Formats: sequence, C-alpha cells, structure tokens
Amino acid sequence: MTDPITLEIFKNKLISIAEEMGINLQKTAYSPNIKERKDFSCAIFDSSGSLISQAAHIPVHLGSMSESVKSAIKNVEFEEGDMVILNDPFRGGTHLPDITVIAPVFYREKLLFFIANRAHHADVGGISAGSMPLSTSIFQEGIIIPPVKLVKKGEINREILEFIKSNVRTPKEREGDFFAQISANITGIRRLNELISRYTEDTVIEYVNALNDYSEKMMRNKISQIPDGDYSFTDYIEDDGAGNRDIKISVDIKIKGSDAVVDFSNSSPQTKGSLNAVRAITLSAVYYVFRSLLDSDDIPVNEGCFRPIEVITKKGTVVDCTYPHGVSAGNVETSQRIVDVVLGALSQAIPEEVPAASQGTMNNVTIGGINPDTGKPFTYYETIGGGMGGFAGGDGESGIQSHMTNTMNTPIEALEFEFPLMVHQYNLRKNSGGKGLFRGGDGIVREIEVLCESEVTVISERRKIPPYGLFGGEPGEVGENIVILKGKKIKEGGKFHRKLKKGDSLIIKTPGGGGYGKAI
Amino acid sequence: MIRVGVDTGGTFTDFVFKKGDRWEVLKIPSTPENPAVAVLKGINIIRKDDACDITHGSTVATNAVLERKGAKTAFITNRGFEDLIYIGRQNRKKLYDLFYKRPEPLIPENLRIGIKCRINSKGEIVQAIDENEINTVVKFLKDNNVESVAVSFLFSFLNPEHEKLLKERLVREGFYVSVSHEIVPEFREYERSITTVINSYVMPKMDKYISHIQRELQKKDSFRIIQSNGGVISLETAKKEPVRTVLSGPAGGVVGAFQTGSMINRKRLITFDMGGTSTDVSLINGKIPFTTESEISDFPIKVPVIDIHTVGAGGGSIAYLDEGGLLSVGPESAGADPGPVCYGKGEKLTVTDANLYLGRLIPEFFLGGKMKIDRKRLEKYIDHYSKQWNMEKTKLAEGILRIANTKMERAVRKISIEKGYDPREYSLFTYGGAGGAHAVFLARMLEIPEVIIPKNPGIFSAFGMLLSDIIKDYSLTVMLKGDQTEYSHIKKLFNILKEKANRDIRKETISVEDIRFEQYIDMRYKGQSFELIIPFSKNFIDRFHLEHLKKYGYKLEDKELEVVNIRLRVIGITEKPTIDKIKEGGENPPEDAFIGKKTVIFDGKPYETPIFLRDKLTAGNVIKGAAIIVEYSSTTVIPPHSCLKVDTYGNLMINTYNE
Repeated sequence: MTDPITLEIFKNKLISIAEEMGINLQKTAYSPNIKERKDFSCAIFDSSGSLISQAAHIPVHLGSMSESVKSAIKNVEFEEGDMVILNDPFRGGTHLPDITVIAPVFYREKLLFFIANRAHHADVGGISAGSMPLSTSIFQEGIIIPPVKLVKKGEINREILEFIKSNVRTPKEREGDFFAQISANITGIRRLNELISRYTEDTVIEYVNALNDYSEKMMRNKISQIPDGDYSFTDYIEDDGAGNRDIKISVDIKIKGSDAVVDFSNSSPQTKGSLNAVRAITLSAVYYVFRSLLDSDDIPVNEGCFRPIEVITKKGTVVDCTYPHGVSAGNVETSQRIVDVVLGALSQAIPEEVPAASQGTMNNVTIGGINPDTGKPFTYYETIGGGMGGFAGGDGESGIQSHMTNTMNTPIEALEFEFPLMVHQYNLRKNSGGKGLFRGGDGIVREIEVLCESEVTVISERRKIPPYGLFGGEPGEVGENIVILKGKKIKEGGKFHRKLKKGDSLIIKTPGGGGYGKAI
Repeated sequence: MIRVGVDTGGTFTDFVFKKGDRWEVLKIPSTPENPAVAVLKGINIIRKDDACDITHGSTVATNAVLERKGAKTAFITNRGFEDLIYIGRQNRKKLYDLFYKRPEPLIPENLRIGIKCRINSKGEIVQAIDENEINTVVKFLKDNNVESVAVSFLFSFLNPEHEKLLKERLVREGFYVSVSHEIVPEFREYERSITTVINSYVMPKMDKYISHIQRELQKKDSFRIIQSNGGVISLETAKKEPVRTVLSGPAGGVVGAFQTGSMINRKRLITFDMGGTSTDVSLINGKIPFTTESEISDFPIKVPVIDIHTVGAGGGSIAYLDEGGLLSVGPESAGADPGPVCYGKGEKLTVTDANLYLGRLIPEFFLGGKMKIDRKRLEKYIDHYSKQWNMEKTKLAEGILRIANTKMERAVRKISIEKGYDPREYSLFTYGGAGGAHAVFLARMLEIPEVIIPKNPGIFSAFGMLLSDIIKDYSLTVMLKGDQTEYSHIKKLFNILKEKANRDIRKETISVEDIRFEQYIDMRYKGQSFELIIPFSKNFIDRFHLEHLKKYGYKLEDKELEVVNIRLRVIGITEKPTIDKIKEGGENPPEDAFIGKKTVIFDGKPYETPIFLRDKLTAGNVIKGAAIIVEYSSTTVIPPHSCLKVDTYGNLMINTYNE
C-alpha cells in the first residue's frame, strides 16, 4: 500500500530534480530567452514517454513535451549515453525555436525513464533574425530538426551539430545552448540514478505511479465540482498576417462526473499565415487552464493529472495543423486564444472560478538594424504585458504577462545601453481595462524611438476584437500599434513589418483585460 | 562598559550581555507599538550604573514594509515612467494563479510623479529640468501632506545632476528624501527605484524610533544597528539608509556562526536556523556570503544582503493529510496561538508535537520548564489522527519529522549542491529553538559529517550581533570593456570609492581596530544578462573565466567581456568581547550532568536514552548516541550511531556517523 509519507517525499524529490535541471539550464544557456525569460521547461518521463514530473517554468510547454519524447521513442533506438534532439512541430515539436533534447535514463542497463528539456533558442535560421517571421510556410521559419541523436553513447555527434550550426545566424550561441541542454539532462540523469539506488527500482516506480494516481485524484475532485453539462465558446484570431481574417477558435466542453471532453472540432481550417498551432500547443493551453483551476500550487504536473481530460482536435484545423504550414506565431498568439475560449466556456459552469479575458496576446516586437556605435547588426525582441481579466472578488492586475507566457521585460537602461533605441514612455495605459463590478486590468504603453535606420516587425492580436468581459462586464480596450514617421502618426494593423528612419518611433498600446460583472 | 546584544522578536526582545566574565541572558516581552520601550527597559535593568555598548537588531523597518505602515511617500521620476515601480519586471510570481495580484504597492498612483527631464545612456542631458516644474511638484507634495520622497531618474548613476537638484530643494522644503544614485548607483531602473522607494517609505519611522532611543541613552553609551549585510552602522547612518536593515533579522545568527567558526577552525559552514514557522539556511565559505538579489514582500532589494534561503517549515508547522492521500507539513504554522497540540490549545499536529511524542523533547526542560506541556492531550490527538489517517502512531510522528526534514534538505541543496558546493565538506552550524532536534537527521540526509551547536542556541542571534564588524557597501555601474587595458582605470574608480568610504567610516562613531577593503566587480560575457561577482585583482579576467567554468560548467575565452559594476566593501574591524573557554573534563561527563533516562523512539524502535544537562558538561566530554542534551533555550538530539564531543568553548560537536 502506498504510504502518505513516502508519497510526499517522492513528490518533493521528483519536482526538485526537474527544478535543478532548470537552474542548470538557465545558468549555462546563452539565448536571452532561456537565461532571462525562462522560456524553457524540464521534465521527467516514464519509459513509455508519459510525463512524471515537470517544473513550473512556462505554461506553453505544459504537458506537451510528452509528444516529443514519444516521437523520439518511435523514431530512434535508444542506447545508454544517447541524447536525441528535435524541433520538428510535426514530429513532437511546437515551433522551430523550441528545441527539445531527450535522454534515456538507464539503471543497471535497463531503460527506466526519460529526461527532457525544451528551450527557446534566439535564432534557428529562416527568413528573419530571431526566427519569429510573418511567414506562410514552415520552410521560411528556420531549420527543421527531426528526432536525431545529438549525443551517441556519451559522444557529441559533431556532424549533426555542424549541420545545425550551418543553418542558423548565431552558431556559437546555439552550440552554447546545446551544451547547456545536454548538461541539464546529465544533472537529471545523475539525480534520478541517486534516487533509484537509494530507494530501489521497484519503490521508485511504485511511487511514480502513486503520484500519477494522486494528481489524477486531485484533478478528478476538481472536475467533479464542475456541474455536468455542455459548454461552448467561440472567439477569433483577427488576422493571420497573410490576408485571412476572423479565424475561428471554437470549443465544446462536456463535463460528466469527473471527466472532461474538450472538443475543438468546430474551429477554422488551418490558415496560410503563421498562426497555426500544432496539437501539442492546444494540449498545453487546455492543460494550463485545468491546472490553474486546482487550488494548490503543490500538485505535481504529470500524466495522471491530465488523465481525466480528453482533448479532441481535427487534423488540418488551426488548432491541429499539418505539414508544411507555418506555425511560428501559433505558439505565442493562438495559444492565448485557446485559453480564452476554454475559460470562456468554463465561465458558464463555474462563474466564480474563471476571470474575464486577459489581454490575449503577447505583443511580439522585433527591431533590427546596424548599430552605428559598433557597426554590427543588432536584434531586439520583446513581448509586452497587458491587462488581466477581472474576476469575482477582484479587479484584474495591470501591466503584466498573463496565461501562456510569463517572461520578464528588458530594463530600459539595459535596452538603451545595448541597442540604438530610446524609450520615451513605459506606463500603464490608464482606463484601458474593461469596466465592470470588477474592472479589467490596464494595458501598457511603450514608446520606442529608433536612433538609426531600423526594421520593425510586430505580431500582435486583440487589435480589433477586444478581450471579452463576463456577466455584464465590458470588454477591455483593444490594443493599438502606431508608428511616428517624421513626426507623423500612422496607425498600423496587428501584424506589420516596416522600415523606420532615425528619429522615428514605435508606440505599442497593449489591450486591457475584460471586466467582470455589471458595474453598479 | 557592558556589551549588550539586543534582538527584537515578535514575542520577546532578547538581550545577551557580559557581566564580568559571565554571559547572561534577559528576555523582556516585546512592545510592538513602540519596540523602543522594551529595548530601553531591558537596558535599564542591565546597566545599573555602567555604560552600555549596545548592538541592536531592529525590526522597525522590516515591519513597516511588511505591514504597509510606512510614511506617506511620493515617487518622482522622468515623465512617462511614473508606473515603472508598479509594473516591475512585468512577470507574475505564480504561474497558475488566474487571480494573481501583485503585493499592495507602497505608493499609490496619484503620488507617482513624472518630471520632464532626461539623461541618456551616455550620461548626457538630453532634456534639462525646468525650475517651474519643481515648484509645482513641491506645492503638490505639500498639498497632499506627503512626508517622504524617493527620487529616481533614468541613468542617474551616470549623471546624478537632476537627482541632486531635486534632493537639495526637497530637503530645504523639509521632506525626508532619498535619491537613487546615493542608495544604489546601479543600472536596472526598477530594482534601483524600488530600493530607493523602500528607503524613503521607512525613513520617517526609523528616524523617530532611533531618535527616541537616542534621547533616553546616556552620554557614555554607544549604540549600533545591525544591517542586512551582517555589519553594523551608527544610528545616524541607520536613520538615513534604513533600507539596509530591512532583512537584518537573520543576520546576527550568520555573523555569530561565521565568527564562532573562525575561532574553532571551521571556515566552511552551512548555517541552520530553525524557528517556529520557518527555517533559514546559508552557506559560509570563508566569508559571510552576500547577494544583491534578495526580496522583501516580493520587492527586490538591491543593496547587498546576507545570502539566506528560507523555507516554510519550523517547529510549529502543521501536518495534514490532503484529499489525494498525501501527508504534508507546513507552510501553515500553528504559531504562538493556538500553538502545537501539546501546548494545550492547538488542535492540529505540528512538528513539535511529533518530536515530543517520540520522546525527543523533554517536557520538564521545555523553555526551562516554564512552558506547560500536556502530554496526555497530545496522545489523545495522535491517537485520533492515526486512526483517521490510518497510520501507525510512531510511524505518523516519524513521518511528520521526515517530511519536515525533506523540506529543509531541499533548502540546503539549493544553497550548496545547486551552486556547486559539496555539503560533505561542510559542518552544519545549528541554532534557533527547534534546530537541535533535527540537525543530525538533516545532516545525514546530505552526508554532512559534522553538526555544531553553539552555546545558547535559542538566543544565538542576539549573541552573534556582538561579534559584528562595521560593514559598508559601495557600488557603481561602470559598463566597461573587460580587457586588461582597463585594469588601471578600474583601479582608479575604486580609489574614488575608497576615499568616500574612508570618510564615511570615520563618521560612524564606532571605534575600530583596523580597516579592510574588499573589492569586487560584476562581470559577464557581453550579451549575457546576469553577472558574476568576482574579487577584483590584476588577473581579474582569468578569474572570471575560471569562476564561470566552475559555476556554469563552461568558459568562452575568445568572447568579449564586460565589467558592469564595481563593488567596494569596507570593513571596520571592531573589538570583540572575549569568548571564554569552559572547564576541562575527561571523556566521561560529570555525574551531575546526567539527570536520568527516558524512552525515545528512533526508526520505530525504543531506546533507553540518557539525558544530560548542557550547562554541566565540561570540555572533552564524549557522549555516544542515543542521548539527549537539554538546556534553557533548546534541546539537542544525539541519535544512535552519532557521537557528541564538547569542545573547549562548550560547543557541541557531533559526528553524524560514528562508524
């Protein structure tokens, strides 16, 4: 019989292994996305590739790494000391900058577990620096890496490494990041081995299973508290950057007892632009919502946790797209909308546990050019926070990253030291939150002047269709993108690419959150 | 002259002092409304006619922030950036909280004020300040009854002209003022600004508190305040820079551990301070460790602070079985009220209850026997929970302890293994009321070979303060190319800081035996965003590569380097009270130290365990586990297969594996 004490101890041990891998990765990595913004995840899997434990790093990877591990198992014969690398969204990946490195954990020559980590690399090639382009096919987005062995029996596979490095803009940094990912896995393997030798193989496996059952029980408890019924919600991606508008994201949720079926079959077909999501992203967004409904921070995220949830997607739709469609922005934008519709549907069932819509976009800004001080090219990439939705009992928080992302900002002084840019405003966008009994949080206004000729790319949503309010609360203000060319203000769309001259400015006003309840 | 250490706590204000050659302890109930009342009361009891030299750990600034009871404060910055102290770094602390709220801000929106002016990243003024605008702001501040002001402009660390202008004017107008280039002249506007805001927010309160004490002191007395970095400062400095004290709570203990360790030739220590609700751990590797990445109430504090990791597990932590069938301990604590079950009021099992049930705490000696312990009541509750949770009684009690120890183990791993230090090369230096019952078990989980328990572990923090030196930290963002040609330039910059430090330390009015400087630089590979703090010397470049390799597993020797900040620490070595050796004895403890035997459970098995009075032990005594050592403020458990030796100063030195 499982013992509640040992169960708690194993819970601690398994989470701390994944966390330690994360610290290791963050410290040794080179991409700003990994080091500063914690855009990475570390996790442990059983021998079939099911998730055992994942550290809380960034929601967009939640539960979706299992697809990578399973793909690796399918495609590669693992031996002790091997590590497999992949980023192919159609074979277990999400979008190309997210590269996953997977290692088997052998104990006395027996394969017992897998360890994996996934990290967002600063560049993986493709048509624009930073590999987050306004693209129309996967081939424009960068190098596609199928599941292949980056490490063979403890030796780095130089041929693969050189091959990848030849296809990216900053090969030295990529090499550094790969070493970081490999070393994080080595830490994970070592710690798991220590655990097995201390507690025996049988005990570890017994408690891994018990923890899955535990998380399942907690999730089932939660779902049983949701009234049985069918709940539907629809919202839209405004534009895919390639001329297509109002792409429908639609969900039908069936709650029955302690089971949930989350069906996206009524969503739009995949689209020409890069806002398509592969199924793994859709899973992450759904899992994020259900994980957030649990009351405790302490419940392990594992396969058991998501057993009660069935996610149905139709191949060839915007939430389950097929090769070779573009996916780079599906990860950052469409994932947010999937969260919005799942929460929207659940708000009908459990109105007090669901907030109104948050800003629903990441406001991706890329500015590049040649720095006149150094004569070298520069690329600045950032996402900007906005308003969170109001909720029963409180106003939504203002000026903050919500749902599928949680990256930090670049300090203004760091930005101006590093790039030929000058920030003129970084404030809350007052009164942009939706009115209501509980107001939505306010967005942010960020104004950046370029001090030399530059190119700017913006990928943003919620510029036309506002974040919804709930139960009489008003929607949040839509975002606005403005450029100032020679002193003249021009309003831009949600997605654009433009050349700026020295002295021109870019103003991004991010959306407010929706209000909750009718204002009195 | 009597040396007195005074530590203000939630329930008691502890005094440690030396009269003649005897150390004495005094506990006075704290007076939270005005903590100075308890402090002065104690001093007057201790002093009789003597002069006192007092070192004080104050919680005034800490509590003002935690309870949001600081002054009405305004924040002045460049126009367009008024909300930067609200937005912070734009991230949320909890990933899965749909209703996430930031901590309540220290300054409301209407008191975040922007002034038109700007300095660029080269330190050039691109927009000057208009005097008229300052006049308007001053009027606004007065109209709104603002008491204190924090000023932080972008790039003020490169060019402080605008901040100086504001400061001069606002001081003249009678406001409390702090300006960011004086508090932390380092880049990253949010962290610098919020540190300055916290300083202004607590300044009036601290000023009144200290002035109250000053009025009541005698001319011949001297008084110093301990900072969060483990060093002391004069009252005058503490009034101006109170932000340097907001995390000073655990400082005394770490300083005490460091100084005690130096005396007994233990330079590598992991400090373990287990209290009622939480446990603090830190790692000393030849120096008191500092960090510039600490937080209070989720706000970053950029001034150097002792590097301490805290975990929510202590003697009062509550055990519960959740709906999924998992036993958890903490972070919820029974606190002082209702307290553990065995104190007679609590209804939930705590770590203390588990220790008592297993026989590891001796009721007759609990806080010198003053605390009434209800063992019968505890047995009733253990019985109840063991049935409800379907667990055998001793297994439940030992399980609660194992879980608490696992949490503490995780905290120690974070400061040691995960930072590249091997705990097997360290001693576990244990103090705080609850630590002695857990130390050997925790040490064994980490293969730490030795546990050290100093005298009076329950009030060690107040004692440690008496061993503090004066420490003042200076820093400056320089953003230089990290190559050898910059060496003499950096040296010159350090000399400028040193001149200032020399001037300042003379103003501290605390006599020093010697002055020492430590020089550090914050370096990184260009393009990175986190710096490594390394000691500055001629071969600083090699040192950086080496440190990077050691900490992060690789180095990039052909990569461009950057020197981001320079850091100077000036240490005024103070005269320390002498620590006397205790009476020598043989291996066998004196007969009067042994007070009887009790049954104690270890690993499910009962052991007839001898109990000793710590105060009667003599140097050289050896006691093999199982044994229990009792004293006024703490209980030390020596489990089977470990062995205690009393050293010449009366420290308990426990070999965790006797084999």
